[in-house]
Amino acid sequence: MLILKVAALEPIHGYAIVQRLQQISKDALQIRQGSLYPALYRLESRGWLKAEWKTTEGGREAKFYSLTREGRRQLESETAGWKRLCDAISLVLETPE
Amino acid sequence: MRIPLRRRNWERSMDTELRFHLDQQINEYMGRGLSRAEAERRARQEFGTLELAKDECRDQRSTEWLNHGLRDVRHACRSLRKSPGFAAAVIATLALGIGANTAVFSLIYSVLLKPLPYPAADRIFAVETLLPRQNGFSSSPMRVQDYLAWRKANTAFESVAALTPAQWNLTGDGEPERLGGALVSANFFTFLGATLELGHGFTADEETPGKQPVVVISDSLWRRRYSADPALIGKTIMLNAVPRVVAGIAPPSLLVPTGTLLHSTLAFAPRVDVWQPIAPTSEELQGENWNYGILVCLRDGEIAERGRQQLQAMLNGSIRAAVPDFKDELTTRLVPIREIYSSKVRLRLLLIFAASGLLLLIACTNIANLFLARVAGRSTELATRVALGAGRARIVSHLLMESLLLATLGGAAGAIAAQSGVSLLVAYGPAELGILSAPSLNLAALWFTLAVSLTTGLICGALPAVAVWRKDPAAVLQDAGRNALGGRGAMRLRQGLVAVEVALGTALLISAGLLLHTFVNVMAADRGYAVERILSVDLGLFDARYGPGPRRVAFCRELIQRIQTLPGVQAAGVIGGLPVNSGTSVTSQTILYVTDTNLPAVAMERPVALIRSVTPGYFAASGVTLRAGRFFDETEPVPAAIISESLAKRFWPAESLSAIVGHPFRYGDTNGPPVTVAGIVADARPGALDRELPPQVYRPQSQRAGGAMSLVVKTAQEPGGLASAVRAEIRKMDPNLPIPAIRTMREILSRTVAERRFQMALTVLFALTALCLGAVGIYGVVSYSIACRTRDIGLRIALGALPGDVMCWVFAIGLRPVLAGLVAGLFLATAIGRALRGLLYGIAPTDPVSFGLVTLILLTTAIIACYLPARRAAQLDPTIALRHE
Repeated sequence: MLILKVAALEPIHGYAIVQRLQQISKDALQIRQGSLYPALYRLESRGWLKAEWKTTEGGREAKFYSLTREGRRQLESETAGWKRLCDAISLVLETPE
Repeated sequence: MRIPLRRRNWERSMDTELRFHLDQQINEYMGRGLSRAEAERRARQEFGTLELAKDECRDQRSTEWLNHGLRDVRHACRSLRKSPGFAAAVIATLALGIGANTAVFSLIYSVLLKPLPYPAADRIFAVETLLPRQNGFSSSPMRVQDYLAWRKANTAFESVAALTPAQWNLTGDGEPERLGGALVSANFFTFLGATLELGHGFTADEETPGKQPVVVISDSLWRRRYSADPALIGKTIMLNAVPRVVAGIAPPSLLVPTGTLLHSTLAFAPRVDVWQPIAPTSEELQGENWNYGILVCLRDGEIAERGRQQLQAMLNGSIRAAVPDFKDELTTRLVPIREIYSSKVRLRLLLIFAASGLLLLIACTNIANLFLARVAGRSTELATRVALGAGRARIVSHLLMESLLLATLGGAAGAIAAQSGVSLLVAYGPAELGILSAPSLNLAALWFTLAVSLTTGLICGALPAVAVWRKDPAAVLQDAGRNALGGRGAMRLRQGLVAVEVALGTALLISAGLLLHTFVNVMAADRGYAVERILSVDLGLFDARYGPGPRRVAFCRELIQRIQTLPGVQAAGVIGGLPVNSGTSVTSQTILYVTDTNLPAVAMERPVALIRSVTPGYFAASGVTLRAGRFFDETEPVPAAIISESLAKRFWPAESLSAIVGHPFRYGDTNGPPVTVAGIVADARPGALDRELPPQVYRPQSQRAGGAMSLVVKTAQEPGGLASAVRAEIRKMDPNLPIPAIRTMREILSRTVAERRFQMALTVLFALTALCLGAVGIYGVVSYSIACRTRDIGLRIALGALPGDVMCWVFAIGLRPVLAGLVAGLFLATAIGRALRGLLYGIAPTDPVSFGLVTLILLTTAIIACYLPARRAAQLDPTIALRHE
């Protein structure tokens, strides 16, 4: 879900995804870099991400991932689900003792 | 080539991507001031194991399972190429098992499962009558009157057709020829849903006598004799010296009952070539001639039972109309048309199928055993692979892939073998098979092969796969494979498999033994006539030229005189229909006391006998035993008959055979001169011995000239050599008389027992194959267990065990499962024997000869299979054995 979210903004390559995730979560989320790629490939083979080779600012070829329409729908439904779960948990936690 | 190429591209793109990631990370660390080496180390550390990540990426590819599968297949091919002997043994065993099953299934499909070529096949029934009292026949076909009555009545049936066997001599335009055919109702072809290839066929008014006779001839006759000339329609052909107009050509695909398929007392020719409309004369309509087969077609949506009751009510009604005080009730029976074609062979085919199934099971057990041994031999390799990170699932799938690959190859080889097997089966099997099945494999059989192959592969591969699944790789590695899968548990498993194999093999061998013993009994049985050194020729004296009277008698007399002068002929005679062919169309008549006056009133209580005309020489030529009285003389002054023993005992139960000679009786008719019993002879029994023939009444041909006659010649030497001389004599007397094949009695007999022989030969073949497989299985297990314990044995020998002790020990390993399997198999065989009961002759289902011999053969085989490895074990050199690894 997080990867989808990051890729939703703009086409982005794997390294940048790691950077972005750490940056956004203020280093609270530490992603094992090695397991990022299997996840990316899985999302790609499910048709939620599409990939294309582009040149980076540094002038190197890199694989940029972007969200497909199906991926966007998936992201929305997962976000909604997550919100519901969070709401439910906070409801429970905030019930006065 | 595309897939590997795309795969390489894909790999390269993944590499570049990961490399890019690492480089970015390194750059970043270097930007923070780390040295290049340090930055690289940190980046890699953070990334984790690069190869693992790559592997996980690969696993995400949707086609990866396919790659695994392909790899497994390649691996399996490679590892099988390394052990070609093993692969060949497995493929050959499977080809045998699967081939046998495919061939038999192909027959079963075409005979029992494939839809019949009639549009309304499931609504067509044949009608027969069950007689109230057993007077020779248990059931009977119908009368022509029934056909006429049922056709008019409003019943559950939409149409009714009738047919009765007939034979013709075809003359003119070439060699005279004997043709088999049928008299049929005019609607016969439309009833079956067949469209004539040419011509309009019959019209309803052609069923009346006196009309210009018309015929429909078969496609094969049309092509063979008239080179498919379309102008034949409307022309006349000479049948029995009477011109008949050809009204149509039947389609080549037409399927009609041949032989005695329709009813055991209706004998059609093996090939039906001519159909002519029935035209019952008023005399025929007066008589009681139960010689018509009637087919009925149920209305769509009607219930067969309702129709059957309607027919039964009409039948009994018509009989009561003639005999008001008739007490018994006749029962009609509807036989589905499929049963007509398959019932004679169904049981045998299914039993053969069961036998071939047993054979396949035995083959599977054997192969599973081979696989177990192979896996045991490779356990170190497999354990190493597990230890190096191969998933257990991968190993198991690899093993299964190996067995599936072998099974597929075996199946393919089996299908090829089955192809020739089927044509052999159809060629050498009973004639009933050839009617319905083409001599080639059908698509259904190929699907069956595929299913059986895959199932076999799974079954054979599953056992070793499970054995591997349950093993702890560490333990296997420690044991260095010596004891791993050859350990106590696995040993017991392998011995268990041998026991199962032996049990199944015993059952199969005993079934084969029972059938073989039956066949020997059948061939040696006394049928009431001689079989050896007898030559037989069918004479079709149907022509108008011979008429029913003296010309025919004179012809036979002269022919016999000429034949008797031939060198090597001991005796010759003529009889109406050979008793060996139970189905020949011989008149059957009710036997009556001279005091009987009302035929219909007593008809059901009197015995029915087959009336045959003979010349005096027949009894001598055929070696018939005289029980009392005398044989016929050349001239018989008063109406005389020779009757069979069973008729004498039934008709005059209170009197001794010699007292019965001289008694008068009548048959078929309460008026007319009575016939005197001149002699009593032994009963005649049909060649197949599958049922009892009705009693026989023989009449001298000079007093009663029969229709179809057969010449019987007893020869001093092998009778086959005389055939051409006999043929020449007949030709000299009448060049227009067709002479069908001249056969020896042994050939005729052999044809009548074709069904028995077919089942017996196949079962024996399967059983012998099973015996070989079993021997190999026992040998394999014993050799393998010795190989596993070479050190053990060496130690024993070193400690002073004598060769005899070692051999005993080895025999114990081998024979224990054999004995267990044998006992189980004997129990299984008694059950199978009970199922076979109806097919046995002259032996009990627990025939001690079969059981004893099979036990003996099996034990001998097992002992030989154990002896070879046992001798090797006993001769082991302890110094070498102890160092054995």
